[in-house]
Parts: sequence; C-alpha cells; structure tokens
Amino acid sequence: MGDKPTILIWSEHPALARELVGAARQALGPGGDVALLAPTGVAVDIRSVDVVFTTESADESPEAWAALLAAAVSQTEPALVLVGATKLGLQVAPRLAERIGAGYAAWATGFTLEAGTGAVAARCSLYSGGALAYHQFKPGRVVLTAAPGALTAPADAPSPERIARQSTLTAEVDGIAPTVIGVRPKATSAARLEEAHAVIDIGQGVKAEEDLALIESVAALLDGQLACTRPLSSDRDWFPEWLGLSGKKVAPELSLLIGVSGAIQHIVGVRDSRVIAAVNNDENAAIFAQADVGVVADLYAFLPVLVERIKARGMRPAWQ
Amino acid sequence: MNIVALVKYSRDVTEIKVDPATSELRTAGVPERVGLIDKNVVEAAVRLKEATGAGLKVIALAPATARDSFKDVLAMGVDEVVLIEDPFDGEAEAGIVVRLLEAAIRKLDPVDVVLCGFASDDGYSFQVGPRLAERLRRPLLAYARGITPEGGGLRVEQNLDDRMQTVTAPLPALVSIDEEAFPPRRTTLMDALKAKKKPVNVWGIETELGLSRADLESSARIADTRLTGVVVRRQQRVLKGQDLGAMADELIDALEQAGVLKGAA
Repeated sequence: MGDKPTILIWSEHPALARELVGAARQALGPGGDVALLAPTGVAVDIRSVDVVFTTESADESPEAWAALLAAAVSQTEPALVLVGATKLGLQVAPRLAERIGAGYAAWATGFTLEAGTGAVAARCSLYSGGALAYHQFKPGRVVLTAAPGALTAPADAPSPERIARQSTLTAEVDGIAPTVIGVRPKATSAARLEEAHAVIDIGQGVKAEEDLALIESVAALLDGQLACTRPLSSDRDWFPEWLGLSGKKVAPELSLLIGVSGAIQHIVGVRDSRVIAAVNNDENAAIFAQADVGVVADLYAFLPVLVERIKARGMRPAWQ
Repeated sequence: MNIVALVKYSRDVTEIKVDPATSELRTAGVPERVGLIDKNVVEAAVRLKEATGAGLKVIALAPATARDSFKDVLAMGVDEVVLIEDPFDGEAEAGIVVRLLEAAIRKLDPVDVVLCGFASDDGYSFQVGPRLAERLRRPLLAYARGITPEGGGLRVEQNLDDRMQTVTAPLPALVSIDEEAFPPRRTTLMDALKAKKKPVNVWGIETELGLSRADLESSARIADTRLTGVVVRRQQRVLKGQDLGAMADELIDALEQAGVLKGAA
C-alpha cells in the first residue's frame, strides 16, 4: 500500500462497523484506504469504504473471525485494525494482535495515524473509565477495540462515494475451537434506551420486582425509560440489558438513579447525561459525588412523595 | 488432572483519586490486592478441583513482598501459589505479562485446565485469556458461568453478547470466568490454619522461567503511556432531612432550573 495507510475494520454489528468506518475515514482524510471485513449476512451499504471483504463461512466463532481478519491483514497490510468492543470482538482482537505480532489496546476513545510513518497513538479508557491512557505505539501494526459510541466521529461524515473493491475471503480454523452443542438466545429489549430523553436507572436498592410499579410511576411522569445496573440484569434477570462499562451507554437530558451505589463501572454508562439526579438512603454512597443533585432518603418513602409533588405542581418534562 | 488458576495482583481502582484541578491521577498509596474478579476465578478452580480430585496451583505476577496476600486463596482450597516476581513493578504491558504466564504454565506442565478471569479489576482489557489461548494453542472456553467435567474434557456455559451457549472442548483447555460468576466461598479459621502450611513459591523470570528481561522489553509494542484522570464535573448538591415533601420540592426546583422540568403553562 506504500505511503497510503490502510485501516481495516471489523465488527459483527453493522451499526458499530459503520461507526468505526466513520472514525477511520475521518482519521485518514482523503489519502488512505478503509478496508472492511463485512459482518455475515449483511448487505454492504457502507459508503466511503475502499475494500470490502465478505465471507461465505457460517462459522462465527472468535477463532474463525480471527483467522479471517489475519487473512485480510495479509492482503491489505493495514497500519491499524479497528474492532468493535463487544464480548466477541474482545476475544477476536487480542487473538489477532498475538497472531500478527501487533500492538494492542482495548477501549479506545480516540486515535491518530500519522500519514507518513503510519505511527499510531491511541487514547483509551482505563480503570473502568476512571482514567484515560494515552498510548504511543512503537512503529508497526496496531489493533484497537472501541465500544459503541466511544469514537465520536460524525455518523455520516461527508465523503465522496467510493466504489469499493470486493473480494471473498476464506480462512481455515485449525481444530482448536470449542464445539458448540447448544445455543439459547437472550431476550432483547424493545426499549430504545439511547433515544430516551430521560433514563430512570435503578440499582440494588430496589428490593423486589413488584417495586417496579413504583419506579414506573416515576418514569411515566418524567417520560423516562427504565434501565438498571448489571446485577439487576445478570443476577435477578429483571431486564435484558444494563448500563455501564460492559453494557449500554446513554446520554439523555436526565438520568435519575434510584438505589444505585455509584460504582464507576456503572457510572461510565450514564456519565454523559446532561443532568444526573440520585436517590439513595446511604449518605456515604459514591453516587452523590457523581450527581448534580442527590436526595438522601429511603426510596420507598420518598418516591411516592415525589410523584405526588410533581403532579400537584403540574410539572412535566421540558421536552414535552 | 492439574489445574492452574491465574490470579491478578491488582490495584484497587476504587481507591484511585483524581486531582480535580490538574486531572492528575493519584495512584501513590493505592492498595494492591488479589483482584475481586480473581477470587471468583479461584472459586471456580476450587469447585473443579473438588469435582475431579485434581491438583490446583495459582500463578500470580506480583512483588515478592506480596506473599502474604495469598493467604485467602490458599484458605479457599488452592494447594500452592507460584508467585512470579514482577520485574516491571506492575507496569508491563499485557503482551509481556502473557509471555510470563505462558512460560510459568509450560514449566508446570502437564497442566490440563488453565482458568483466568474474563478481565482484571484494574486493567479490564479482556486480553489475557484470548492471547494465552493463541500462544498455548489451546481451546478457550470464554465467559464461563458453569463448568462441568465431561467425557475427559469440559462442558462450559458461556454468557455471550446475545446468547447463552454451551460448548465442549477436550483437555488441555483454557477457561475464562464470566463477570460475577462463581462468587467466592467464605473460609473458616480452620481453612486459614491449614493455609499457613501451604507454600508460596517465588519464581524469578530469569532463574526459574529462563526468560531475559531485555528480550521481554523488546517485545513491548507500546513505546510510551501517559495517564490522566477523568474529572467529574457535577454540582454534587445533596438534599437531606426529615421533610420528604420539602426535599421533593427542592429536587423538582433543581430539575426545573436545569431545564429538565417545566411548570404548567
């Protein structure tokens, strides 16, 4: 590829792949090439990609994707490989880095690629979002993962439509992958949390599933969508998804956190909210340092009063 | 059967503070300990030991002064701890750590099952399991919520993004433990007394592992890393008292001032 650097992209999620393409295009400017290993079974409608690899393989194991990416790397010789930071991507990317001897860092929130040298620098989230690490890589190939929404490139960066060169990739997985003997899909949420104006985010302070009626009465008044911390999803199975470093990230007008302790791994998921309010009965809970306004009170006593006062004063969300 | 559990001696990230004026991270004096995620790894390993009668060793990378930090994991049922004395003071990039762990596992061979966390408490970069699987050329059963010995291999329940998946693999294999799976057992005074007799063996990277520090350093791919803290800029106003109605009104007022709520027109 000579002086024209290439960035190779892969995520099994088309929307995330598109985001990564946008960020890559912006970093490269008009000079470089964006190559994409397309997710299985997805029509490639992504503009501003120069090279598209497709695969007919039905094997969606991390071992298979790592092998396909390694094949794409040897064809395109990219300076940088960008992979979506999902549970699958976070298996594939470090495998690939190890296989091709590349530098690796997870949870990128920004990167630069120097045009002449191909030198890569990356800004990555560290300590569960409490810090940022600025890595300057040695010369040579680099693999980065980025979570949805982490690389803030315009979704549709203006760019001339390109006619991508297409080719089909095959790669052999050499018999060390586990054998899949059963699959049980998880329930998916109909709620579009990312689009909510208000998010009512509940934690372990909410004791029983029946109590959701109380929370919903607050949510209805604030035009809010319910969300939760990880234990309420993974342990109690109240919701199919959660907010946080390992879950979804939202940036609504208001996040109201109810019975949430304020662990940084969770706060990362709501910290871009415009306003954060919290209700917690523990005066020393970490959440009060993370909120604009906090109420120290028992939620079961306070929320009915809050509902009554909002109604009595005829208050409604500013966006309605 | 022989089991090895990989345990990270981690920073307690909840104790890392940020200077709000300079965004500087205050890492001095932040306690280090066996990671919370790693306690779950030990629990999973002890259960597998109990189910199979296997031997169980822990490998950790830590300063030699940390030997006493492993009393708890020994009390949980681990037979022996191999402490690789960390020449990089906890600052080595993961690619180097993986090489150290690989060398220690190979030295302990035959090792049938290697268990590790899906990520570490502090680094949280999810990379050690997949990278070790590549280097050891063993199957990785990732994000395990259940582990059952079966037909000379393992059956594992995996918690993936969009599905739960059951997989099997022959031994030797690598298993990474899913977040919050296998909460650690409580130990008794008797366990603690027994643990006192169990060894913590300190291995040097050159003497025991036969690696050279210079070679390891030259395998680093990151030239330089600079850290800054993420500063929280919130108003941090706290309402407390006995009058819930007054507090509700204050909260409503605050949300109105912030442009989130509006009164009846």
